[in-house]
Amino acid sequence: MSDHHRITKRCPVCFSRDIDVLLTQRDGIWACVKCSFNGTEAEIRGMYRDIQKKYHGMIERYTLEDQRKL
Amino acid sequence: MMKLNIFHRTDPGRYEIFKRQQDLVHSLGMKTSVFLHYFDLFQDHIVADALAYQAAFGDEIGLALNRLEGPGMDDISRGLEHIWLFDEEQKRQLMEMALSKFKDVFGRMPTAVTSYHFDSSALRILKEIAPEVEGIVGGCFEEGVRVFHGCNHSWYLFNEGMPWGPWFPAKGHTLRPAAETEDWSGVVAVPHLARDMSLSFEGRNDFWASHPPNVIRGMGNDASFCPYDLNLIDQYRMQADFNGHTYYNTFVGTQWLTWNHNSEYPPEVAWELYTKQLTYFKQLKEQGELEDLTLTEYARWHKESRPFAEPEVYLAKEMLYQSHKHYFWHIDTDLRVLIDANQGGSIGDLRAYIGRVEKATGPDTPSRENGAYPYLIQSQYRTGYPNHSFDGSRTTLKLVKNGEEVDLCSTPTKVASVERSSAGSRMVLTPAKAVFPDGSTVEVETTYTIEPGGKITIKRSLSGDTEGILATEYFKGAPGCTEYPIDLHGIQLQVMDATGTQEMDYLYRRRRLEVDAPECVAAVVPQVNARVMMSAAKGAKPSSGLAREGNLFEPYFVLELTYDTNTSTEFSTCLIITA
Ligand SMILES: [Zn+2]
Repeated sequence: MSDHHRITKRCPVCFSRDIDVLLTQRDGIWACVKCSFNGTEAEIRGMYRDIQKKYHGMIERYTLEDQRKL
Repeated sequence: MMKLNIFHRTDPGRYEIFKRQQDLVHSLGMKTSVFLHYFDLFQDHIVADALAYQAAFGDEIGLALNRLEGPGMDDISRGLEHIWLFDEEQKRQLMEMALSKFKDVFGRMPTAVTSYHFDSSALRILKEIAPEVEGIVGGCFEEGVRVFHGCNHSWYLFNEGMPWGPWFPAKGHTLRPAAETEDWSGVVAVPHLARDMSLSFEGRNDFWASHPPNVIRGMGNDASFCPYDLNLIDQYRMQADFNGHTYYNTFVGTQWLTWNHNSEYPPEVAWELYTKQLTYFKQLKEQGELEDLTLTEYARWHKESRPFAEPEVYLAKEMLYQSHKHYFWHIDTDLRVLIDANQGGSIGDLRAYIGRVEKATGPDTPSRENGAYPYLIQSQYRTGYPNHSFDGSRTTLKLVKNGEEVDLCSTPTKVASVERSSAGSRMVLTPAKAVFPDGSTVEVETTYTIEPGGKITIKRSLSGDTEGILATEYFKGAPGCTEYPIDLHGIQLQVMDATGTQEMDYLYRRRRLEVDAPECVAAVVPQVNARVMMSAAKGAKPSSGLAREGNLFEPYFVLELTYDTNTSTEFSTCLIITA
C-alpha cells in the first residue's frame, strides 16, 4: 500500500453532476473547492458505489449476438 | 469485417509506458500507428525506436500535433496545445516548424497526422505544407458542451455535429462529409476514438468510448472487471450488418496508464483493462473478423472503397444503464439525423450539412473556439420534450381526440428494422401505443426514409380507435452550436396554399401563420444556410398548416401539418431541407 497516497479522489457530489473536481485532504477529511461536500475516505468510497448503482449493465457482457436481439 | 487502428503517442516523460504499450500490441501480433510530437523529434532514441518498430512490425510513423512544445515553438504556442485555436499565421508557423523537422528527421513528410480537431484553415494549411498527408485524426464525436462542463468549464474543444466514423472532410467545414472531389479537403479523417452512440448523445462523450481508462474515469468499471469495453466493440461490429463494414480505433495516451487524477484506481487496473481490450481485438483478428491497419493504410482503403455520397447508419442500443433504448443515426453528405426511438421516433438531433456552413476557428475568426457544425434540432441542449415549461427543439406527432392530446414522444418504441443503401436508409419503428383519457387507444407505426438531398419522409399508419383523431406532424427547431440560444432574427416563416404564400419575419412575438389545405409550411434559416419545409407526400392531404415564431422565453420556430384521420389513417410527410 506504499502507493496509497498517490490515489486521488474526485468529489462525489460534483461527479454525480458529471463534473470532475479533485478533493483536497486535511486531517483525514476530504473537501471540495467547488461545492460544500466534505467527508472521510470511507464515505467517499460509499458514494462512488452509490453513483455506480445506476449502471445496471455494468457487469453484463452483451455479445454481438446478444446485441442483435436487444 | 471491422477495420481497426491502434494509435500511440510517444512521450519522453513517460517513455517506458509508451514502450510497454508498443510491446503489448506487438506481442499480440498487431501493429500500431506511432505519432511523434515536435519535441520527440529531437530525441534520437525515440526516432531510432520508431524506425525499428516500423521495420520490425510494419508500424506507421506519423506526426502528433496534440502538444505544441519544443525548441522555437514555445515562444509561439505559449502553452496552448491545440492547433485549431491559433490564428492562421500561427497555425502556419507551428505546422511549418513541426513538419519541416519531421522531414529533416525522416527524409519525408508524414502521411498521417493527429490532433483532437482540425478546423478548415488548419487542415488547409496542413495540406499546403504537406500535400502528402492522407489520413488525420480529425475530431472527437460530440465533444463540446458536456466535456466543457465536465472539466469544470475548462476544456475548449467544441466539435459537435460531426460523423462518428471515418469521413472525407469538406474544405469549408472539416466536420461535414464532402459531397464530391471539388468539395473535399484531400484527406481521410477518422474520429478520435469510437464513442458510445447512446451515451455520448445523452452525456459526456469521453467517459463512454473505445478507451478503457476513460471508462474508469466514468466509473463504468468494477476494478479490472469491465465488460462494457468489449460490449462497445461488439456494438460497433453490429453496424457492419447495415453498412457492410465497420471501423474502430483506440488511442490511449501514456498519462492514462499511470497514476491519473481522473481515476480512483492504481495504474495496474488501467493496464489490465487496456490489455483485455487489445486481447479481444487479437481474438477477433484470429477469427477473421478484424483487420488491424495503420492510419495511412486505412485512409487508402477508404479512398478506394468509399464513394463520397455513401450514406451510413448506426443503430445504438444502450447497454450500461440497461435501459436498452434504441437510437438510430443516419449520415450522408446533406444531413446528419438522430431518431430517438424511445420518444416515439422523434428527431433528437439534426444537422443540415446541405447548407454547407463554412467555419474556421481561431482568434481571427468570428467562431473563435467553437468548431461545431451548427444544429437545427438538439433536443438535449434545447429542451426537447417538455419537462418544465415549454418544449424545445424536436419533432413529434401529436394526436388529438375530443380536445385531449397524446404526444408521441411519450410513447416508447424500438427500431424494428433498418435498411441502408446508396440511395438512403429506411427505418421502421415498432408501433407506438397512444392511450387517451377515455381509455381508447391508437397504434401508430412510423417508417422513416432518409434520402440524399436532404429528404426525410415520415410515414404514419394509424390503427385502433382512430375515429375523430386529428394528427399533427410537428417540427420545432432553432439553429445553434451550444446549449444557449442564438439570435433568431433573419428567420423567415412561410405557409403556402393553392392561392399563394404568406410570409413572416421572425420578431420574437409568438405570432403565427395559419392556412387551410396547405401545400407546405416552411422556415428559411439563414444561420444554417437552409430552408426547412414540410409538405404532404403524394396522396396525403393535410387539412391545415401552421408556422409560428417564439419569444425570448421560447426561442424556437414551429412548423405543423395537421391531418384529419377521417380522410385517411395513413399519411406520409416530406421534411425537406434545402440550401
Ligand atoms: Zn464538489
